[in-house]
Amino acid sequence: MKRRSFLKNGALASLSLPFVQNGFSMQAIAKQLFDVPKSAEDKVLILIRMNGGNDGLNMVFPRDQYAELVVQRSNILVPENQILPLTTEVGLHPKMTGMQTMFNEGKLSVIQNVGYPEPNRSHFRSMDIWTTGALDINQTSGWLGRYFDSAYPNFPDAYPNVDYPDPFAISMGSEVSTTCQGLMGNFSHAVSDPFNATNLLLTSVTNDGTYYGGQIEYISTLINQTNEYGQQISSAAAAGNSLSNLYDPLNPLAVQLKYIAQMISGGLKTKVYILNVNGFDTHDAQVDQNDVKEGVHANLLKRISDAVRAFQNDLQLLGLEQRVAGLTFSEFGRQIASNGSMGTDHGDAAPLLMFGSCISNGIIGANPQIPNQVNNQAGLPMNIDFRDIYASILKDWFEVDQQVIQSLFEQNITYYDLLQGCTNSVSEKPIIAQQKPLVFPNPSLGQHQLKFMSGQEYLEVFLIDQNGKVLQKSFEGQLNNGQQILSLEIHTLKAGAYYYLLKSGSRQELVSFQKL
Amino acid sequence: MTPYTGPWTSAEAAHLLRRCTFGASFQDIQNAVGAGMLGAVNQLFLASSIDEPLAYDVGEQIVPLGQTWVSAVYPTNTSANQQTEGARMKSLAAWLAKNLNQESLSLTEKMLFFWQNHFGVSTSGDARAMYQYLQLLRQHALGNVKQLVKDVTIDPCMLLFLNGNTNTVFSPNENYGRELLELFTVGKGAQLAAGDYSTFTEQDVAAAAKICTGYIVQGVRSDTQTQVSSQFTPVLHDTSTKTLSYHFANQTISAAGALEYANYIDVVFNQADTALYICRKLYRYFVNHDITSWVEQNIIADMAQTFVANNFEISPVLTELFTSAHFFDISVRGAIIRSPLETLCAMLNTSNTTANFDLQSTYQIYLSMYGLADQMGQGYAAPPSVAGWTSYYQAPAFYRLWINSTYIKKRFDVANLLTSNFYNVNGNVFKIKVVDFLNGLSAPASAPQVIDDLCLVLFPKDIPAADKLAIKSILTNSLPDFEWTLQYNEYLADPTNPVFYNPVELRMQAVLNVMFKMPQFHVC
Repeated sequence: MKRRSFLKNGALASLSLPFVQNGFSMQAIAKQLFDVPKSAEDKVLILIRMNGGNDGLNMVFPRDQYAELVVQRSNILVPENQILPLTTEVGLHPKMTGMQTMFNEGKLSVIQNVGYPEPNRSHFRSMDIWTTGALDINQTSGWLGRYFDSAYPNFPDAYPNVDYPDPFAISMGSEVSTTCQGLMGNFSHAVSDPFNATNLLLTSVTNDGTYYGGQIEYISTLINQTNEYGQQISSAAAAGNSLSNLYDPLNPLAVQLKYIAQMISGGLKTKVYILNVNGFDTHDAQVDQNDVKEGVHANLLKRISDAVRAFQNDLQLLGLEQRVAGLTFSEFGRQIASNGSMGTDHGDAAPLLMFGSCISNGIIGANPQIPNQVNNQAGLPMNIDFRDIYASILKDWFEVDQQVIQSLFEQNITYYDLLQGCTNSVSEKPIIAQQKPLVFPNPSLGQHQLKFMSGQEYLEVFLIDQNGKVLQKSFEGQLNNGQQILSLEIHTLKAGAYYYLLKSGSRQELVSFQKL
Repeated sequence: MTPYTGPWTSAEAAHLLRRCTFGASFQDIQNAVGAGMLGAVNQLFLASSIDEPLAYDVGEQIVPLGQTWVSAVYPTNTSANQQTEGARMKSLAAWLAKNLNQESLSLTEKMLFFWQNHFGVSTSGDARAMYQYLQLLRQHALGNVKQLVKDVTIDPCMLLFLNGNTNTVFSPNENYGRELLELFTVGKGAQLAAGDYSTFTEQDVAAAAKICTGYIVQGVRSDTQTQVSSQFTPVLHDTSTKTLSYHFANQTISAAGALEYANYIDVVFNQADTALYICRKLYRYFVNHDITSWVEQNIIADMAQTFVANNFEISPVLTELFTSAHFFDISVRGAIIRSPLETLCAMLNTSNTTANFDLQSTYQIYLSMYGLADQMGQGYAAPPSVAGWTSYYQAPAFYRLWINSTYIKKRFDVANLLTSNFYNVNGNVFKIKVVDFLNGLSAPASAPQVIDDLCLVLFPKDIPAADKLAIKSILTNSLPDFEWTLQYNEYLADPTNPVFYNPVELRMQAVLNVMFKMPQFHVC
């Protein structure tokens, strides 16, 4: 008798398993919202993650408040005349000569006092906030993961394909990046050595001649065969080039950035590269006790400054400068005052460095205000929300539609002019996004919120499918002026594209969303 | 067989439990260490009970949802009958996955699966019959194999599957007779001549077919009968005297009506080949694919001797095997590539992760788990042929047949699914309980110890220190170890606060995601 699978029995044909069976089915809707503009397609973003909590005040100095810095952290403070000037008010750590040069060439931005409301000084929680780009404790997708989900549906099932043969993101090293965690998969591909990119294994496996050794060797070979990107990456690296002689082969970050230059110049279409620098958790011995401009933190800053300088030089020589921009970030800054161990403890806001020839402005944001007395455990307060920086990068660099950007983030976005230095349209002031209605999170599985501004109006909210058919009235009622947030339940809907229609005497607005 | 007299540490206990169950937790391993080798082995033979499968799908049109259908009739109307069968098969599939995931620490589920693979039956067209058949296997799983073969011979599901129900004196059907010899008892040897397979001949097949004539099946999807049953019908039985081949010393089987098949099976079990064949299969299932001549002479021969001496009770054979020096020899550790069901259960059972929501959600989740294993190549009770899954018998690849680029991707997909927060049914999120997993380890606040303990639970052999450091850096986000300790202690002080819980969960999910994709996880 022929074998009949339980699941092939006709009555079971309607069984739908989680994503492994149908994939992520997202019908094409309002496609113009999600199309990636051609001009943005070749843009590359570099993210350098400084792990441990970077002491921003030892990286970027408010030169106009040196006296206050002495009050706060004299045991680790570099001498005033050794600070590398960027402007009269702002300077860099003495070891960051490379980045000072870049600033003078108009290729470095300092974004001051970046953080988020209600800072959390736990490494793990705070880094989760920075990588998810959200304060919502239940958000586990990365901010770039959400962007990639919106632009490239059916991931990972439909990729790689003829149009998109390369990974969307590469995480240099052996771990994929939480920043790129999408709903159904991680958009980043871990690469330690692009010239040997077929190796997917965390560590190498040796066959010691036992049955075990033979089995794990066999499995390793098969695992590497599933690496669909390996060949693409290796080919691009081999076809690529590196022209700068400024890279120090003993600088691990420089080695990785050089690989990236080779991959980009070799034609790899990857859009995001993420790198990690470890060791910023400098609770003690942050500086060398004999020479405060040397030490652990100084070495890390020098590593980043030198490597980025070499990379920028390489991009210039390769003719790629207009395509690449980069950002450093860390889970928090450190306290204003140093501690008794010649180190610093966990703090709050800190500066971000943005690099590339398309930066718009040198210094973004005013200097932090350093108090003239030590307040216990005080960190620098936030001036700029990091989520706005992410949003601004998506707008300036990847030319994402603002409505889409807003749907990726939970706060009402304030845009900053970050990367418009290569285009003709340079705006002078930050643009406040239109307060259109938005659905968050989007896409979503079971429940989401509809946020919108209302006047004095009697409003009805209808749920409409992608064919324009009204499915139900989700809300109606008399509203006052102000922001409204409706929690709406959608888990019984079939996967696909939908709209809410907000209808009242004074308006009729559509906002789109997807149900997974 | 030389008994094992070496040290009894967590490595040995983990090896025993890894081979004998579908997944053991860290605590289970420690308990086994405490019980000593004999104690740990004996505990595996304690019987476990299970509940009946419940109706949960709206296709079921006889019993109310939440009740069992195993002794219910079917609807009369054809379409309703079909829908009800579909609903019951879904319930059965989910129930099978649930039993593996929720097993007690016993050999029962592994042996049940062994027999289910051995007899190779897939669906019969009546879910109740499949249920009854599996219950039969469960009943004898650790018991008398000769009795098991006898009972299976006249089980309705088997009669339907291998055409026993249409095997009559007027038109004998050799399907069961052949597989009984070739696959279930004496096995097939080298071809000595046309129709002569060293252990039996075509003459034996024809004889077996005649011996087994006369049993018919009643009640399939019946709207009046609450059970599928088999019944001996004398007029359909071949009453001639059957002569066996020279491999059986030309013994004859005289007419004996309803129990003639049982007499014949007694004769078949008297063949030395039977014990050897079954013991080789057990060896491949529990120890290693490679039956060298040393293994054949020292292990298989002893197993078979014990098997025969105990009148074909399986437990003494298994006890002897699991307390032997050979079983614990370092050369056979990690030699087996985990099957799909073992892989899936290793992800869940090692942390005692089960689905315990409302009926609908729970059964739907388990049905999905069944489906995931099916997509990895192993749908429980639906083997690709009556010979079972090829991994268990096909030389030279054996277990390597579980691994190809498609199956590897599926394994990785499953790992991604179960270490994410996104798989949910009706809003009930199903994922590995990673924080519980962490809390059950010996020193959750110590990052290096966490990795050591996870390696003990998930990998069959120790891995290089450099590999452990690489995994540890995923746990700690490349921070110094004390930061992990601080984070874990913050969570302990306020365990229900998501601000402390979530980061710990995310790190554990990342670690397990990576470990599940290492080759070492896929061997046991």
